[in-house]
Amino acid sequence: MEQPSPSDGSAELGDSEECDSEECDSEECDTEECDTEECDSEECDSEESSVYSGLEDSGSDSDSPGSREEEEEEEEEEEEGHQEDEEEEEEGAPGSPSCPQTQAKGKRKSLEDDSPLEGKQDLVVHDEYEEDSSDEEDIRNTVGNIPMEWYQDFPHVGYDLDGKKIYKPLRSKDELDLFLEKMENPEYWRTVQDRQTGAEVPLSEEQLELIRRLQRGNFGDVNFDPYEPAVDFFSHEVRIHPVTNRPADKRSFIPSLVEKEKVSKLVHAIKMGWIQPRKPKENVPAFYDLWAREDPNSVLGRHKMHVPAPKIPLPGHAESYNPPPEFLLSPEEKLAWEQQEPSERRLNFIPQKFRSLRAVPAYSRFIHERFERCLDLYLCPRQRKMRVNVDPEDLIPKLPRPRDLQPFPTTQALIYRGHSSLVRTLSVSPSGQWLVSGSDDGTVRFWEVSSARCLRTIPVGSVVKSVAWNPNPSICLVAVAVDEQVLLVNPGLGDRLLVAATDQLLDSWEAPEEERIQPVRWIPASPEERGKGIRLLVQHDKPVTQVTWHGKGDYWASVVRNPGGRQVLIHQSSRRWSQNPFRKSPGMIQCVRFHPLRPYFLVASQRSVRIYNLLRQELTKKLQSNCQWISSMAVHPGGDNVICGSYDSKLAWFDLDLSTRPYRLLRHHGRAVRSVAFHRRYPLFASGSDDGSVIVCHGMVYNDLLQNALLVPLKVLKGHSPRLELGVLDVAFHPQQPWLFSAGADGTLRLYT
Amino acid sequence: MRASAPRTRARPQRSGAAARGGRREGGGARALGSAAGARQAGGARSRGGSAGARRRTWPVPPSAAAAAMAQLTARFRTENRRFAVEDVPFSVPATSETADLSQLINKLLAAAHADHKYVEFDFLINGQFLRLPLVTHMEMENISTEEVVEIEYVEKYMAPQPEECIFHDDWISSVQATEEWILTGCYDQTARIWSVDGKSITTIAGHTEVVKDVAWVKQDSLLCLLLSASMDQTVLLWEWNVEKNKVKALHCCRGHAGSVESVAVDCTRTKFCSGSWDKMLKIWSAVPTDEEDEMEEAANRPRKKQKTEQLGLTRTPLATLSGHTEAISSVLWSDAEEICSASWDHTIKLWDAETGDLKSTLTGNKVFNSVSYSPLCRRLASGSTDRHIRLWDPRSKDGSLVLLSLTSHTGWVTSVKWSPTHEHQLISGSLDNIVKLWDTRSCKAPLYDLAAHEDKVLCVDWTEAGLLLSGGADNKLYCYRYPATASDVGA
Repeated sequence: MEQPSPSDGSAELGDSEECDSEECDSEECDTEECDTEECDSEECDSEESSVYSGLEDSGSDSDSPGSREEEEEEEEEEEEGHQEDEEEEEEGAPGSPSCPQTQAKGKRKSLEDDSPLEGKQDLVVHDEYEEDSSDEEDIRNTVGNIPMEWYQDFPHVGYDLDGKKIYKPLRSKDELDLFLEKMENPEYWRTVQDRQTGAEVPLSEEQLELIRRLQRGNFGDVNFDPYEPAVDFFSHEVRIHPVTNRPADKRSFIPSLVEKEKVSKLVHAIKMGWIQPRKPKENVPAFYDLWAREDPNSVLGRHKMHVPAPKIPLPGHAESYNPPPEFLLSPEEKLAWEQQEPSERRLNFIPQKFRSLRAVPAYSRFIHERFERCLDLYLCPRQRKMRVNVDPEDLIPKLPRPRDLQPFPTTQALIYRGHSSLVRTLSVSPSGQWLVSGSDDGTVRFWEVSSARCLRTIPVGSVVKSVAWNPNPSICLVAVAVDEQVLLVNPGLGDRLLVAATDQLLDSWEAPEEERIQPVRWIPASPEERGKGIRLLVQHDKPVTQVTWHGKGDYWASVVRNPGGRQVLIHQSSRRWSQNPFRKSPGMIQCVRFHPLRPYFLVASQRSVRIYNLLRQELTKKLQSNCQWISSMAVHPGGDNVICGSYDSKLAWFDLDLSTRPYRLLRHHGRAVRSVAFHRRYPLFASGSDDGSVIVCHGMVYNDLLQNALLVPLKVLKGHSPRLELGVLDVAFHPQQPWLFSAGADGTLRLYT
Repeated sequence: MRASAPRTRARPQRSGAAARGGRREGGGARALGSAAGARQAGGARSRGGSAGARRRTWPVPPSAAAAAMAQLTARFRTENRRFAVEDVPFSVPATSETADLSQLINKLLAAAHADHKYVEFDFLINGQFLRLPLVTHMEMENISTEEVVEIEYVEKYMAPQPEECIFHDDWISSVQATEEWILTGCYDQTARIWSVDGKSITTIAGHTEVVKDVAWVKQDSLLCLLLSASMDQTVLLWEWNVEKNKVKALHCCRGHAGSVESVAVDCTRTKFCSGSWDKMLKIWSAVPTDEEDEMEEAANRPRKKQKTEQLGLTRTPLATLSGHTEAISSVLWSDAEEICSASWDHTIKLWDAETGDLKSTLTGNKVFNSVSYSPLCRRLASGSTDRHIRLWDPRSKDGSLVLLSLTSHTGWVTSVKWSPTHEHQLISGSLDNIVKLWDTRSCKAPLYDLAAHEDKVLCVDWTEAGLLLSGGADNKLYCYRYPATASDVGA
């Protein structure tokens, strides 16, 4: 290639420029420290030396301008050779007429070298001109800083001061001349053309030597030994002498003004609060509890609408690897199973029997089954059960404490022993001094309340079903129901005058003129019976189950066990007159009571209580008990409340003003309630049951119609031992004291105080 | 019926075994009264040899030495000159109990008097019997252990010694004894007189109902006057000729319309009062006369009544005091002009016997069964159905004030009786079959339990001679000899 393309040239230029700039930089750096020495040692242009300082230092100084130029040439070449080997070969190729090119290159190089120096470093250039005494000005081309290729086709290479062209050296040398010169000139091989000026320059021996060394790859400097033993300047050993013995600067002793200023600025900023001390790093863990805010108490707090998954039924025998033979399918069953739709099959597999667990093969439908299970869970419509969390304690009404409701019977005080069989019934005298009890041993006993002393025993010959002490304190009379008779007994206890008056009252009866047809027969007692205290016998046609007195003490009622026929009779003892109040019987009658204040008559049948007005002779009210079988009934002394005990162990409290339904149904007893009683003065009622216990309750009735009765269970009184499935058969309160009597199947009566 | 002598003799052994005593407060361990005393005394003697008598500090028993070495300073004093010791503070172990202190006193006395015999003592701190270790007691009573403790000591009350067991035919409803005779009322409608050594003297029959109460009116060497109240609504005044052993009904006191529950004779022996189930309190003359009071009665009186009328001249009450709303269970004369009545209406009322006015009312909250008055300490003791014995001050302005309540019985307290000679002691009978001897200075536990009865105890009495009597529903009247120590009399 004879003419390098402009692009190549530009590339070179670019490269060289880069190099230059680097060199200049290095030079800049060096200048401060060592410019003086170098300037001294080099009388020539320091630009060169600075550029090729390595060469300069090697000591091959030649003051001749020629040699210098050669040097330049070589450097040029070397540079080029470094950069583009191809170019160098072409240049070096013998016989190639590339002199003008090389010249031009050389010129260009020099120009390039100069220009940056002149442009950038006036100082150096200035100095250089001062000392420069050579004539090189003339030789130099003066075309400016342009590529020399541009002058390739021109005869001149530049202009002199007068603007006249400086012509290239004669280009008369043709091939022949070159050949001749080659042949003749022994210097020819060492002659190179200066590209800038076009002059031919023979290289000196030193330059040649240098070139050779470089071609061999050696260092340019002969004296430089790259292999001399390296001395570690810095080593691990601490030397006693400093590396540099330079004394400390004065400024190192003087407080630095700059620093002082900086520090004062910082201090001011700190004072003004512009600079905050660095906050201590909080030891915050990089992770956090996602569910920390959640209420741990709430069940499944994260899933408010959590619906528990339906449970898989537990595996049965059919799932066993070794099921009992009845779980294995017979061939017909197997056939039927296979013909069934998969969804209709009762089992979704065929039970199989294996010899041992080891013999069970891997379950092939595992994935399938899991998938179905997941599908079930996903598609199964599930209902969310609204579960209300109510503390059961809150549902219990706030009742006063039993302790605040004193007095009531709490402990067993006395046991009245004497009966040899179960005591069915008892009654307390209106004065509260005596107690009468009737038993299955065929006796009626009278007791002194305060000492449990049996004062009288009247044998009546048969089971005593009911006794009732006349509630009138001025009459001393006890009605005793035995078999089909009701005996009116004068116990002879209490005031003698009253006892006598009672006898007189009974004896004062005179038979009416005309005999009236009565449902019962009134038989005066025989003298023998009269000695026992019996005054009158009222003969019924059927067994009498209950007797009860009216509050005034003249009328009494008896209940006869006569299903279908007449069951209730009302008697007047002074007139010996009986009547049947009901034309037809309202079912099986369990119990009757007179109302304590009004002319009402309460009749308890199996399921309901009827209240009749005796004056108007009509049914006033019918109470539905919600019980299966009423056993007993008691009327509150106030008259507006009724309690009923039932054989299905319930106790129903009726408020007559409120409703015909029970106001409260108490289920305190474990077994059938046999008897209920109200206290005459204290707000107490009690119920005796077959479980052998008596339960005392507080039953406060208020005059205020707006306030409902307050019922508080107070105490379970135990003492009677159940016998023959029977426990407590009758209860009664003491008329004055808050004491309770109970008659039990164990043949005793007990007093609780 | 008269209980035969051999049977009576045979009883003491059994009742002796049954008489338990000496219950320690808090500890609950019952020591047999006399046996325990003997054992403690023996232990003291055996230990006495090693103890240095001159040392002021009481030597701690070796077992207790390791437990607590704390010492208390105590000063001992006694009312009884015979047992007085030097009035200087002693240092005693804090854990010492009554037995230890008793040994200490005995040792001191033995050092002072050569002829001293061992005496068991009981100790009181601020009027409370010491029943626990000293320091525990003082902690409970909030007494400072830093200061000198004043400890009073008295001769230990010996357990009542069972003497007689008198058999009756029926329940014994009441008993009253004098120095020589015992009068009992019985449920077999009779009253009986016994000698104190258990011999049946006579049986007084005449009532048509249970005899509920009896009382001596007057005792001479020849003629005795006595009263019996019955459920037949009468009180009979009897004259008993001691020599002839004849009983004659002098007067039949009519007027009550209910069972007469209680009679009491005043201190002048000329009047008595009776309380009845008819809620009335009646005052009668106890002086026998020859004339019969007029009795307005209905024309047609029953024959039965006329029969009883033959027993004596009818007598009508001098005064009738009405105020109780329930039966009167017990009456007594607290002094010459004051009647005290306990009733089932939960009150004890004090009446002026002269004017018949109600003086004050003590209100309890349970039925009162019995009341007793001690002129020595001027306190009323009441037994009620809530198992407590309560002490009342009848003079206090606030009539409802209960001074103290003694609680140990488990049944109704049917009967209480103050000691006639000791201001702090009383006995009580209860439906729980136990008679208890109390000292009001030890109100948490009785001094002795007399558990001889096999059924309800209905009546108790305490004579000046120191005889304790209790009768009950087991038809037996138990007698105990309880010698009052000389130091206690008038203490």
